[in-house]
Amino acid sequence: MANFSVPENQLKELLPAQTMATRVPQYQCDRTVRPAPPRYRNEISKYIIRRSDQCIRCGKCAAICPQQVHIRKPGYEYFAEGRYHACIGPSCENTDNYCVAKCPQGALEITENPMIEALGDYRWPSDMILATWKMAESGDVPPAEYGYEYEYGDSGGGFDKLRLKFPKTPAVVLGLDEIDTSLELNRRDDGRPRIKIDVPWYGGGMSFGSVSNTTQLAKARAAVAWNTFTCTGEGGYMERLRPYDDHVITQVATGLFGVREETIQRVPIVEFKYAQGAKPGLGGHLLGDKNTISVSRMREAVKGISLFSPFPFHSVYSIEDHMKHIDWIKHINRRALVSTKVSTPTDVDMVAVGSYYAGTHIIHIDGGYGGTGAAPDIAKKNIAMPIEYAIPKVHGFLEAEGVRDGITLIASGGIRNPYDVAKAIALGADGVVIGTAELIALGCVRCTRCESGRGCPRSIATTDAELAPQMDLDWATQRVVNLYNAWRKELVCILGKLGLRSVKELRGRTDLLLHMDYTSGKEQS
Amino acid sequence: MKNVETIQRLLHCKKRLVHELDVPKMVRKGEEEGGCGVVGFCCSEPVAGRHIHEPSKQMHNRGNGKGGGIAAVGFVPEQLGVSRDVLDNCYMLHIALLDPGVREEMEKRFITPHFDVKSLNRLDTCDDWKTVPGLAVKPPDVWRYFVQVKPKVLEAFSKQHLLQSLDPEKIADEFVNQNSFKLNQEYYASLGEQRAFVLSHGKNVMILKVVGYAEAVTQYYKIEDLCAHVWIAHQRYPTKGRVWHPGGAHPFAGINMALVHNGDFANYHSVSEYLHQRSIYPQFLTDTEVSALMFDLLDRTYEYPLEYIIEALAPTTELDFDRLPPDKQKIYRAIQATHIHGSPDGPWFFIIARNQTRQKQYQLLGITDTAMLRPQVFAFCDGDVQVGLIASEKQAIDATLHSLSRADTRICPVAERYWNARGGSHADGGSFIFNVTLNGDSQYRVTCTDKFGEPVPMPKGSEPCDFSQEILLSDESEERVHTVINERFAPDNTFKIFEMICELLPQWSFDEIRYACRQIAQQARDAAKTAAAIEILTLMNDRKYPYSNKKKSHIIHIIREELKRIFLTLPGLAAEQKSDNAFRLINFDTKDTLRPPGDSETTLVIDASGFSAEGSNCDAFLLVDAYMQGWRHFIVFNCKGQRYIGCGLGPKTDDVTIDVYDSAGDYLGSGLDGLTLNVHGNAQDQLGQIFKRGKLVIHGDVGQTFMYGAKGGEVYVLGNAAGRPLINSVGCPKVVINGTCLDFLAESFMAGDPLKGGGFVILNGIRLDEEANIVSLPEPYPGSNLFSLASGGAIYVRDPHQVMVDEQLNAGQYVSLTDQDWDLILPYLEENERLFGIKVKDLLTVDDKLRKPSDVYRKVIPAGSGVPDSETDDVMIEDQETEEMAISH
Repeated sequence: MANFSVPENQLKELLPAQTMATRVPQYQCDRTVRPAPPRYRNEISKYIIRRSDQCIRCGKCAAICPQQVHIRKPGYEYFAEGRYHACIGPSCENTDNYCVAKCPQGALEITENPMIEALGDYRWPSDMILATWKMAESGDVPPAEYGYEYEYGDSGGGFDKLRLKFPKTPAVVLGLDEIDTSLELNRRDDGRPRIKIDVPWYGGGMSFGSVSNTTQLAKARAAVAWNTFTCTGEGGYMERLRPYDDHVITQVATGLFGVREETIQRVPIVEFKYAQGAKPGLGGHLLGDKNTISVSRMREAVKGISLFSPFPFHSVYSIEDHMKHIDWIKHINRRALVSTKVSTPTDVDMVAVGSYYAGTHIIHIDGGYGGTGAAPDIAKKNIAMPIEYAIPKVHGFLEAEGVRDGITLIASGGIRNPYDVAKAIALGADGVVIGTAELIALGCVRCTRCESGRGCPRSIATTDAELAPQMDLDWATQRVVNLYNAWRKELVCILGKLGLRSVKELRGRTDLLLHMDYTSGKEQS
Repeated sequence: MKNVETIQRLLHCKKRLVHELDVPKMVRKGEEEGGCGVVGFCCSEPVAGRHIHEPSKQMHNRGNGKGGGIAAVGFVPEQLGVSRDVLDNCYMLHIALLDPGVREEMEKRFITPHFDVKSLNRLDTCDDWKTVPGLAVKPPDVWRYFVQVKPKVLEAFSKQHLLQSLDPEKIADEFVNQNSFKLNQEYYASLGEQRAFVLSHGKNVMILKVVGYAEAVTQYYKIEDLCAHVWIAHQRYPTKGRVWHPGGAHPFAGINMALVHNGDFANYHSVSEYLHQRSIYPQFLTDTEVSALMFDLLDRTYEYPLEYIIEALAPTTELDFDRLPPDKQKIYRAIQATHIHGSPDGPWFFIIARNQTRQKQYQLLGITDTAMLRPQVFAFCDGDVQVGLIASEKQAIDATLHSLSRADTRICPVAERYWNARGGSHADGGSFIFNVTLNGDSQYRVTCTDKFGEPVPMPKGSEPCDFSQEILLSDESEERVHTVINERFAPDNTFKIFEMICELLPQWSFDEIRYACRQIAQQARDAAKTAAAIEILTLMNDRKYPYSNKKKSHIIHIIREELKRIFLTLPGLAAEQKSDNAFRLINFDTKDTLRPPGDSETTLVIDASGFSAEGSNCDAFLLVDAYMQGWRHFIVFNCKGQRYIGCGLGPKTDDVTIDVYDSAGDYLGSGLDGLTLNVHGNAQDQLGQIFKRGKLVIHGDVGQTFMYGAKGGEVYVLGNAAGRPLINSVGCPKVVINGTCLDFLAESFMAGDPLKGGGFVILNGIRLDEEANIVSLPEPYPGSNLFSLASGGAIYVRDPHQVMVDEQLNAGQYVSLTDQDWDLILPYLEENERLFGIKVKDLLTVDDKLRKPSDVYRKVIPAGSGVPDSETDDVMIEDQETEEMAISH
């Protein structure tokens, strides 16, 4: 349900019926958590249990395991392959349910799954991936007994070097329902709707073509459930997204693929994409293999040809052009908020202030830690300014200009978990945009082959006719809904521990952060 | 040209200067700034400063009121209270005092010891700066000194630096330059308080700038009546919010010159390093200052002729370089090798005003970057009084001419010619120069040349219309004209009447033409004949026909004034205005009277003049409101650069038509999805972006990035398109361009196969001459990049002499025209004939012989295009049911 704080009748005045593209009934989706187990029978697990031929099939292990790892189908004598992804591993040792110890034959042995070493990378270590899967499965952060270290990655920089400084006891003790995680997106007093979202994040732009329509739809439905937004990316606006219009941001990016007056008129927020933090100055690209018939039809381009979005806009070479560009969109869609997505060059602060004066509602700075496999490594690692430097720089500059409260600052690029959300906000952002985390929730294994061949082996980032239908929409929706639930819950916990009533109070509180390189061991503990 | 040794001595003396002052090297920009609005004009007679006021106001939306400035060159000595000799031979220093208390000390250190002061005064200002609209902070006090370097000082300076072999005037130039540098270093650039800086230091040149809009300069410093031959103005858009003094605003000075700049260098660092190597240290740390320093260096130190200076700034490359004569290639190669690091990269456009003391001429010039990334328009108005104009948008030119013509009826508001420069080209070099030269004793004349010194051709007609006089006709001729117009006037006869007028027009006198047009306008008072009258005058405005020896611009002006007369006398929408006229007028003051159309009312006529260029007070906004209330036909006139006309109506607008007169602004029709839009004149930049369906007709030229990301639609352009038309275009746009494009046509074109419903561009490469005959351009497409990286669609280029070469294509190929191709494009050429009178037969006639289409047109398609077209390898995943269920729940 759209949460516009403008009364309905007033809204109608803002939305003269005929300027709008025809409205369609809007999809409703609740945010109830329902279990969404992995869609592969043998999901990658941290541990595996070996059963030797000493096993006498007494069934004790299955009887005691609360995680129901051991499976013997009714009517079968032998055990099937276990649900190892549910196993909590060695931390089970101290309980009465430790199957290895309880096995009368000593037939069981727990080892770490060697595949884990191949899963993930420094920024997204295997534990973080497994934990995100758990969140998407259960709607909650994984219980401590799993032992997943998911708060930080191993990158040795960025958010991984930052810690939240929790007081021993918070200044105020707050009930969980007293803590507000909502975020206002329009801070200009310009008569446009004062859109408020319930969580301080929304989904990043991924085009149809880069991901499947199931992925896009699942993200959209989760956005509806959590009263936030998803973004079409640059690659057209599927008709099938229409029932989610009120929760869609459509992107006007440099290739203008699929952008029509009508698509601009559908949505409450239009995003200008100038650059991505993962590949600033490189534009966008969709390699030929992924430009399938349906993609080329949507973009009205030629099938099988690599599609490039240039850098920058051919019609925008200056801030004054940018203003003209924003005015254009505001003219076409009289109720839309405008977001400006830029990467983080060294003068990103100037860009942000310029955008404010040009009339943007949201300045979205995209740092270099994000990016899927489609962004070249050399670009991901070397061009944009790290987001943890960019956020305070922009935040401080906007404050010095006296315009901080007139604009919403959104940060993105490598926001992987609720701790990253809290850190980004403490650095000075109002909210964040997430991308990869949602794909992980859908089962992504970070193989970083998004751009190649027919696309994704996990059926997420592909439009291939065989691969894409492998993922069920309802399942995918539930996974993202669950993930959001887990994140919000954890964020509320973080705020509670800090004694803060809302995410607003966290903004710019760099005093609540520690940088591990500049903190003594004592302080660290 | 100077010998190397003198150049080295000059550079060396700068080196000592920066060494003495211990100037730190700064290679980072002090602040970012965006694109800006720039305008400049020169006139054969000195004109008052107030005329820069109007165009400056037109460009408000290109600045943000945080920096504006003007410069003027070529004054009238009496107005400044000095003799002609002093004006011509003394340096005119303008010094801004941010701290008025610094003056005595500043004079003692930087003026009196070195100069003989012939005259000094504080520029008069308004009493209260707050009464001047558009000022953000109090402008600095400005002092003007007319000075000459004391002979002894000059002698010592030249001895010290071994410059004796140099012309004394040049030594004095360098001395003044260094003195200003020292002053700025002491009171501005060094750390600490900023107290004073030099605004300008040339002969007969003045620069003034403020924190605010440019036009506030003329009001605050009371120079509205100050006359000069050349004026330039600049609206700035610094991205930093708080600015307390105008030091960073444009124009920037060199000796005897002032420069304004629209754009932003990508290689500020490199250009700064290049200057540092020559001991030139920027003090204001903006790329405009660096540009002025570059120009000054090339001009005064290397003493390059203007052509080489332009080449050093905007190098000729690619095919254009190959097309230069060999001796020129040799020189240009050397210039590029030497100065490429000082050549600004990225989007930029300079307007420069300068005083060439030796040639006794004033100069106004515009230079565009090689990729033409900033908008630019040139115009020339010939006659007794000549005006040359350069601006970032055409409406600034219109505003200037209107302002000038109000003061002097010899100046027509419509210029003889409007054109764009093609950056770094072999044809015009991306630059045009207006020279205001003394012709005889006191009469100045303006000439216009391109970079290579080639004069810009002007229309032949030279007989002017005297607009200061009312129409005066003998009874006999009045009767004759009256008969022609009134007796045959019938609503269904418009084209015939137009043709008849075309035939008679060459024989008519100007007064007869004026009378005829007035008669047509009179007819419009009859509600049944309004539409026909508008149609005839519109045809006369749009079409080309022989004008005999009369000035075409003057005829056009007559027609437009009468059209305006019709529109302005139409009934409004207020209840008390009862009329059976189908056309209804609305303007800014009456916009609240908007209501749905009555039964007999068809067309809403919007007088755009009072509306703002964007936002909710924009005429395009009113148009959308009116559309929602049921209006379907629109005329928008009196446009002064208002943007977004035709945007925002959404899809399903096939029954809508919009006709636009006068200077329509940027983004016109960007987003069209069904409607028909006619532009009766030149159009500006960013037209037809994301165009989906509908029809766009432009009776003139069109600006930059036309049809960027377009998906479809039918488009007809009578004239030329500027840079980057149809870039990233997909789907099925069908475009006829009768002229040519500057460059980068259809880059990344992805519009399928035209023979299977995809898109294409027909490029005719022609112009219409004075007699309205078709003339092939020397090259149908002069640019080095056509159809680059395109993967779909096609270009049908009229190239009967096979002038186009492979080097112009990057990933494209020429193929011959087939019968199917001709069947495909013929209907569009026929529509082109209907709209513009450009006959298909004439297009196929080459060297007086009718040719086969395949001998005249060539087709450009993507190289290696031939991706197997299989429809079955992939389908959209169908779980529509789930969606429908979800909605119904």
